[in-house]
Order: sequence, then structure tokens, then C-alpha cells
Amino acid sequence: MGKKVLIIDDSNTMRKIVTRSLRQAGLDFETILEAGDGQAALDVLAGETVDIILSDINMPVMDGIEFLRQKQADPKIKDIPVVMITTEAGADILDEAKSLGAAGSIKKPFTPDQIQETLGSLL
Amino acid sequence: MDLNKSISQATQEIFQTMLMMEASPGQAVTERAKGFVDSVSAIVGMAGANKGMLAIHIPASTALIITSSFLMMEVTEVDDDVKDAIGELANMVAGSIKADLTEQGQEFKLSIPSVVCGAEYEIDCLTDSDGVSMPFSIEGGEFLVEFHLQK
Repeated sequence: MGKKVLIIDDSNTMRKIVTRSLRQAGLDFETILEAGDGQAALDVLAGETVDIILSDINMPVMDGIEFLRQKQADPKIKDIPVVMITTEAGADILDEAKSLGAAGSIKKPFTPDQIQETLGSLL
Repeated sequence: MDLNKSISQATQEIFQTMLMMEASPGQAVTERAKGFVDSVSAIVGMAGANKGMLAIHIPASTALIITSSFLMMEVTEVDDDVKDAIGELANMVAGSIKADLTEQGQEFKLSIPSVVCGAEYEIDCLTDSDGVSMPFSIEGGEFLVEFHLQK
């Protein structure tokens, strides 16, 4: 069965770039789901099972940190690995993401190789 | 921190990595740009011990080139895709400068980018501030990156 990924970013442009980068990295997901913020992602996850989540941090409505907090509290989705893709490269915010279960992080701007390197070990 | 170097490196890295384009920096100036014609401007606010803002001002024709490269499809009018792409560009430049400032002990939070566009408009914010405006040229166009911190 093909793998599914959920991309969370408030920028439609960035969701398209991440989608393209996944393909360029040789990570051919059968299904690529998208959400514009953390709350929209939780809504998607209420009806879909995914293998991995790629999430921005700085988003309206519900940011990536609150999304991690809510996900950790839900036993049905808490074990899905999340990789943060963000301009927020500060150690404090990435430490907080890690403490809430984030499996890794990728700083924008990024290359397909960086995506492959980070996601390869999680799939 | 060398602000000119930080802006220059951040912008060049983003263009090379995400757009496969070269962005050549020009001479930075301290004067603020206020009035814009047929352009797109994206602004990211920075809040912390000090207030600041990062803005990118791009003529519409150049914004179309950048967005077409981001999306790998021809974009012919300034629409929501263009506003989103230029907003994300400003977000990435602001994030890189924030990282440099954080290394200097200055903590900031970034706002969600705000984007304005139009035939003729003025932007007037953080009037009592210090900073730089740095022009960049790419193949087929040019744009301006501004960074200012409140005095």
C-alpha cells in the first residue's frame, strides 16, 4: 500500500514547493494531503491515516507548536512522525517542538537532498 | 552583526536554493522607500525587545518572474499565487535575519507576512527607525529588500 504524507503550511506556494521537493528527492508518496494550518490538519487527520507529517511552525489559526501539543494528546495520531519545515531556526522553538514529539526539522530554504536525508530514516 | 551581509546572504541563498536564480545585491542605502508603482510589497513584522520589520518591494513584472519560478509554471497576472509567493519569500528572508539576530542575543517573534499590491501606493510604518534598503537584480528584473529596527 502506498504511503501518505500530510503537508501543513499556510503558504500555498510552499506546499507546492514541498510537494515538488518530495518528488525530486525520490520520495514518491501515493497520496499527498495538504492543510493550511494546524486546526485544518487535525480535521484532515480525523478522517485520514498518514505515514508522516511535514509542518510549518508560524501559521495563523493554529501554529505548528499548538498542533504538536494537540496531536500528542490524541492517542489515535500521537505516533505519526512530524518533521518541522520552518524559517524558525531558533534553538528554543525547535527544542519545544522536539519536546512535543517532533521527529526532526528542516530549515527553509531547503534542498530536495535535505528533505531526503531527514525523511528517509523516518519512512 | 553586519546587517548588509545578513540581508545579502539570506536573499542570495533563498534565490539559489529555492528559485535556481542568481540575485545580485546592489549598494545598500539608509533612506526608506515609501512610494511604489505597479508593485507587490510583502512585510513581516518582528516583535521582541525591539520592534522591526522586513519588507520586500517588487515591481509586478519581476514578481511574475519570481512566482513563475517558484511554481514552475507561467504566471501572467498578479493574483493570490503571486501575493502568497512574495509573502513566503519575505518570510524566509526574515527568518534568516532573525536567526542572525538571535545569535547576537536579540530575540524576536515573526508575524505572518502581510502583502499589498497595486498601481500606486505608499507604505509608512516604523517611521522612527534605523535600517537599510538593499536593491537586488535578477535576470529580467529587480527588487528591494528593507530591514528596519525601531530606535
